[in-house]
Amino acid sequence: MKRILVACGNGIATSTVVATKIKEYLNEKNVQVEMTQTKLMEVPSKVQDYDLLITTGQFEGQTGGVPVVKGMPILTGIGAEETKEEVLNILTKA
Amino acid sequence: MNSVMNVFNFFIDAGPTVMLPVIITIIGLIFGLKITRAFKSGLTLGIGFAGIKLLLDFMTTNVGPAAKAMVDRTGVKLDALDVGWGSIAAVTWASPIIAILIFAILLVNIILLILKKTHTLDVDIWNYHHMAIVGVMVYFVTKNVFLGVGAAIVMAIITFKMSDWSQPLVEKFFGIPGVSLPTVSALSSLVIAWPLNWLLDRIPLFRKSKFTIKDAQKYLGFFGDSMIMGLVIGIAIGFLAGYDIKQVLQLGVSMSAVLVLIPKMTSLFMEGLMPISDAAQTWSQKKFKGRKLFIGLDAAVVVGNPDVITTALIIIPLTIAMALVLPGNRVLPFADLAVVPFRVAMVVALTNGNLLKNIVIGLVVTASLLWCGSATSPILTAIAKSVGINLGTSSMLVSSFAATSMIQSYLVFLAFSYKPLIGVPLLIILFGLCWYFFDNVKKVNAEME
Repeated sequence: MKRILVACGNGIATSTVVATKIKEYLNEKNVQVEMTQTKLMEVPSKVQDYDLLITTGQFEGQTGGVPVVKGMPILTGIGAEETKEEVLNILTKA
Repeated sequence: MNSVMNVFNFFIDAGPTVMLPVIITIIGLIFGLKITRAFKSGLTLGIGFAGIKLLLDFMTTNVGPAAKAMVDRTGVKLDALDVGWGSIAAVTWASPIIAILIFAILLVNIILLILKKTHTLDVDIWNYHHMAIVGVMVYFVTKNVFLGVGAAIVMAIITFKMSDWSQPLVEKFFGIPGVSLPTVSALSSLVIAWPLNWLLDRIPLFRKSKFTIKDAQKYLGFFGDSMIMGLVIGIAIGFLAGYDIKQVLQLGVSMSAVLVLIPKMTSLFMEGLMPISDAAQTWSQKKFKGRKLFIGLDAAVVVGNPDVITTALIIIPLTIAMALVLPGNRVLPFADLAVVPFRVAMVVALTNGNLLKNIVIGLVVTASLLWCGSATSPILTAIAKSVGINLGTSSMLVSSFAATSMIQSYLVFLAFSYKPLIGVPLLIILFGLCWYFFDNVKKVNAEME
């Protein structure tokens, strides 16, 4: 099972939206994932245990090679499909 | 009519864990959700409330006596525990008038959009709690529904206008076009930051400052890690309370647990409200199709900016220090230290990342949070008790860095609850002047017309 870390400002609001929608999408595609939500400030100390990091906003910290996807389109609805596909591609390729 | 009142009273008597599922189910149905979906949303919120209540009990039974012992031993009078914005949001959603407030705020947004008096589409129902709590508190103090709803409406108008006015900052500094941030917890700081930044710019020392702190995140990073923060604060309070080493360690782990568990409980509220926000979004996008609008998002999308994080990591320890020495402060900072980035985000954008100005303005904002929080904590505590939160036998008050601790909310609350006949007109005149200044003098977003 792939593990995804979803980070936003407080680990509550926007990360819940993104985590829920990505999970629904991946389940439709029969990809099982485990989602964990966190605060952006805690990403550096947690990210190495995950296969993918999704952030809802700007993030410039180190991820030690873990791929990063920007989740903002999921919130605004503009470009949401492309973002979901990007996530799927990363998970199925690796 | 009588039987309606009886039903109403029955649910109020049954408490928020019963009332919340019912109210949210009704709100969900009005937004066109299927009954099963609406009911699950409601139940999820009820569960979230139960979780928050559990944690508040845990927090006050553990921290309450320790804080009291600390106050008695050291003389620092910090008797209003910062229980965090999530707890306050839970109390807000549990208010008997919450449904009216939510629709009032949504209606204000739609009307302002139709009149083209705002460009911000804010259907993030979740974040309405910041505006609603002011209505809840005014209603609680005045027992007047109209004043309560009026306060929430004024909060909403101010919030939507301030999101419009700060949208250029979001676009230029954070690089997010087409988005504005109607999140009171971030916007409120601008009430202080706009004039103060102007003032500091008159002084070359501040205007031209190139002050930076290298590797702030590396050395101060633990201030941003809830787990460690809770442990450190718990241990510190334990020592100050004169506890023995075993009790000190127990308190440390308990407080660490609180900081990690609160967000998990709060996210249940978010989860439950999401289908309703989704429905509102679908509806409004159809309604305003083809019109150029700013999509209102939670300010969570900008607090990851490195300048915001650096500023927050410097402000957090200074906030704790300030709480100890600020005359008249009663707030013991705790759970909301985690959301300091929200309070400084717009400040950082306004100064264009000038760290020296950020620290000065950030500290003034912090002082205002502590003072306004101290002033309104007795009312907040009474409201928390009224929705069935058990604060134990200790005489601790509850507070936070949200609700009326924030200057924008505090001013509206003050205007509506203390001599409203003078306060409300005064507030409207002041805000009207700001409106004139931003829309007609500075012509912010003029290209949207």
